[in-house]
Amino acid sequence: MIEGKLVDLVPFEDDYATYLESWMNEEAWFRAHLWERREPHTEDMVKKFIEKMEKNERGALIGFQAKNGDPIGCVIFDHEWSRVRKADVTVVVGDTRYEGTDEALDGLLMLLRYCFETRSLHRVDAVALTFDEVKFDMYERAGFAHEGTLRQHIRYDGDYVDIEMFGLLEDEWPGYETITEKLGLQPSGLEPKPKLEKKDDKDGAKDNDKK
Amino acid sequence: MLLHGLLVDLVPFTREFHEEKMHTFWNNESRWWATMGDNQPVTRAEIKRMNEERIQGHERGYTGIHFMMRARDGNIIGSAGLNWLDYWNRYGMLGSWIGEPDYWSGGHGTDALLLLAEYAFNWYDLRRLILFTMGPNIRAQRNVERCGFKLEARQRDGGYAGGEWVTSLAYGMLREEWQGRETLVEQFNLRERAEKRYGALD
Repeated sequence: MIEGKLVDLVPFEDDYATYLESWMNEEAWFRAHLWERREPHTEDMVKKFIEKMEKNERGALIGFQAKNGDPIGCVIFDHEWSRVRKADVTVVVGDTRYEGTDEALDGLLMLLRYCFETRSLHRVDAVALTFDEVKFDMYERAGFAHEGTLRQHIRYDGDYVDIEMFGLLEDEWPGYETITEKLGLQPSGLEPKPKLEKKDDKDGAKDNDKK
Repeated sequence: MLLHGLLVDLVPFTREFHEEKMHTFWNNESRWWATMGDNQPVTRAEIKRMNEERIQGHERGYTGIHFMMRARDGNIIGSAGLNWLDYWNRYGMLGSWIGEPDYWSGGHGTDALLLLAEYAFNWYDLRRLILFTMGPNIRAQRNVERCGFKLEARQRDGGYAGGEWVTSLAYGMLREEWQGRETLVEQFNLRERAEKRYGALD
């Protein structure tokens, strides 16, 4: 576990694998993975995605949770280009109650901390659909600059919409401690979700099927 | 399968390209321009491995379509194609590499770009084309801008070339902005340029 101010980064396993089965079928996922087709993600596909990310030498899938242990979602860095020291970053707020909260922002800040302070990246890239103001706000607070617009680039709900492109450079990153202090992050005080039943409990699983 | 131009034809790759030309192009200064600043020497064995991976790429879902670029004098001078085709969002990403510096600034790249854009729009029902280049590559910027591409994003320090951070430029063109190959061939006097360099056209 890597401890942050409001959230902690944790290995993406156990409950996270179970939560991802629903997160990967929610709006937040498709908004974050905006290039992907809008199609149902089956259990098998979710498992394959996790396996793919575990083997990914140019990226990682990381869980993030509130201080009370409540899983919030995942942060992803991917397509790391070692010669140019850059990567794409994505935050998926799986538990929608946390959307727009400082916990979600802290998830991004913890990912940036990892990119700049551990992986020594020079630049990170982020994108958002043109109407996704919650993301713009999050990127702006984290210090990203808006660098352009890919026009009508993505198919979205009967239309083709613009993609906004953002970038943040290592010399613009003041350091995790400084930025969190400056932003004065406040916990949202949400109650934790009820604990998941153990997935390997076969009888339990059967009971659920009957329901 | 052949895209017949005025200064170049875009044709299927031959063994000569993969076994000889690629080794030359990946080890001369054209590589630096094509890869935003990469230039470490590449062996024949590495080229061979790259080609094997490329063949397997389509099985893993790679959607690119590439052509060999042959000048009208018969010389193999480079490659051009769609480095990525996104059928779902209906855009394609163009890429082009002229590996023989003697053929730079002669209109060959423009001719190839016009052939490719027409091919992409007319055969793949794409809505949009995109491409990336780097700040120092003024020649590429001039070329794509006059063909109708618009600068859409400037990614600061998006590349590293010659010991400096360089801007990565994203260009895009919507189908309705495409003026059509014939119009642009006229506008750029490509016929005259081709005849001047290679003699009367067939």
